[in-house]
Amino acid sequence: MQSATQDWPGTTRRALSGGVLLVAGLVMLMICWSYPVGNLTQMGPGYIPRVVGFLICALAVAIIAIDVATPEAAQAGRMHPRGLIFVSTAILLFAGLIDIAGLVPSMFLAVVVSMFADDEARPLPVLIYACLATLGGWLLFLVVLELPIPAFWR
Amino acid sequence: MIDQFLLGLSVVLQPEILMYAFIGVFIGQLIGVLPGIGAITAISLLLPVTFYLDATTSMIMLAGIYYGSQYGGSIASILLNLPGTPSSVVTCLEGYPLAQRGRAGLALFVAACSSFVGGIVGVAILVLAAIPMTIIALRFGAPEYAMLVILGLLAASLIGTGSQIRSFAMVLLGIALGLVGADATTGYYRFVAMPEMADGISLVSLAMGLFGVSEIIRNASRRSPPGPALSITMRDVFPTRAEARSLVLPIVRGSGIGSFFGALPGTGAAIASFMAYAMERRFSRTPEKFGKGHLPGLAAPESANNAAAQTGFIPTLTLGIPGDAVMALIIGALILNGIIPGPRLAVDQPELFWGVIASFFVGNIILLLINIPLIKLWVLLLRVPYQKLYPVIIVMICVGVYSHRTSITDVVLTLAFGVLGYLMKNYRFEPAPVMLGFVLGPLLEDNFRRTMLLYGGDFTIFLTRPISAMLVACSAVLIVLALWSGISAMRKPVHSTP
Repeated sequence: MQSATQDWPGTTRRALSGGVLLVAGLVMLMICWSYPVGNLTQMGPGYIPRVVGFLICALAVAIIAIDVATPEAAQAGRMHPRGLIFVSTAILLFAGLIDIAGLVPSMFLAVVVSMFADDEARPLPVLIYACLATLGGWLLFLVVLELPIPAFWR
Repeated sequence: MIDQFLLGLSVVLQPEILMYAFIGVFIGQLIGVLPGIGAITAISLLLPVTFYLDATTSMIMLAGIYYGSQYGGSIASILLNLPGTPSSVVTCLEGYPLAQRGRAGLALFVAACSSFVGGIVGVAILVLAAIPMTIIALRFGAPEYAMLVILGLLAASLIGTGSQIRSFAMVLLGIALGLVGADATTGYYRFVAMPEMADGISLVSLAMGLFGVSEIIRNASRRSPPGPALSITMRDVFPTRAEARSLVLPIVRGSGIGSFFGALPGTGAAIASFMAYAMERRFSRTPEKFGKGHLPGLAAPESANNAAAQTGFIPTLTLGIPGDAVMALIIGALILNGIIPGPRLAVDQPELFWGVIASFFVGNIILLLINIPLIKLWVLLLRVPYQKLYPVIIVMICVGVYSHRTSITDVVLTLAFGVLGYLMKNYRFEPAPVMLGFVLGPLLEDNFRRTMLLYGGDFTIFLTRPISAMLVACSAVLIVLALWSGISAMRKPVHSTP
């Protein structure tokens, strides 16, 4: 991790967060450019988006300038690749399965996968814990709260 | 005013509503104790539940979670040096050293009592201010609303911790996200990438992603320190008479500062507690004692954040303008229940308006009563490792978001906002202003467009209407103060380097 990021030129790395914001502002302007703008008394739906887009771009440029000028302030926090991967997969699995497989299997898989975001997770405790958590979820959501979601595939 | 308050009390003291008030403050205290779950996550989780309750009951329960979490937040700060809520970060500074010296019981007792006094002062100010504020609010037109929202957004980005320019950029990002969906005036679709987004981005998705999922990604493999072995006897709990006397003024000052910052739109409990601590330290005759377990430094911010949590409901209930991200969510809950918060609320629905206010009074008493006796339970909770908690939170987030609109897109968007919030924080962008911009943005656009339409694009209207002119003046003062402190902060390092 450390060596990979240090290969980058320092200025580029420092300008990264402001740069992403600038890109977001530009994309926003590009999309809303075709919306009817109107004038100040009769504002169309495109008026405010355009103002906000320009402001975001302006602030992004200012942020880049500040970050490049003060290197010690532009330090990025530590990344958590494990957390990112397993938490994302768990939520995507839930989203993909909930309509097909029902609530119970989706909850079970989401718990199992998300538990591996912790680097000390071991298979057997994870399985036991996931069963208990799924049982608790079934009791809470379907028995107590009676949410209108099928428990299993039909 | 007394009559209305009594009307409110008669609403709250119905057994069923009282039960939900208790559930609210209990859950609030619980999630306040647990680091890593904030009031925002808990309130978004319970949003779907509130569809089955009437508006008054759901409001009382959700509000209870908010101010209850302010009580609970101090417990983890004192015992583990882990702030349970953003507003209890400063509580760690004095509370944890006290616990290390074996005076955890005293610290918890002082925190609970100052919280209670702060909360009651906040409720009293809310009761006193409610009717006058409603009368003023009824004279608010589009220009006043637009200016008030601008003042709130400025305050949110200029006061507080972190870079002001970054916070302001995040407010704008929030406004941009709030633009997604059909334009309120013309019905024109803006930034709609998928048909599911035509109704706009769901508040629940945004809140759960930015505050819930992002924290889980960050903390999943964090090892929490082992829970403290604690034996509190009644003897260690009470302060000596001299100590108690030294706390009176800090609690009064803290309550005052908290009430002010809570009522100001755009600032909330977290900022209030920081301000109270800084103020206490600056005006103390013994500033060297701070940071080593100084009781006034514990009492002042604790009373401030609880006072702010109550007065924060002044703009929320009378104007429909949320003071911070949690308030934004509570307003969202009201709207989802079919009630539009604003000056008409007190007139049209006095039972709801005063019932909620009276519930704060009752809730604070419940919190004081359950705080100290249940301390053993809270300590036990702190021993639950985070690794056992977060998978359950993920499932609750997924089910909560999905059941809200039965939308898979919302679940995926929640993840997207979670990753966004995680990356933002890594690059020192705060997520709270995004939330505020998201909720206040549509209000701002609507009222600004209406002002320009009504007064023919004339900007001087903001200066010729008295209330609006006052709000402009407040905004100007804020900007000047921010620039001044920014410049003096830039000068300091130059002076210190030889």
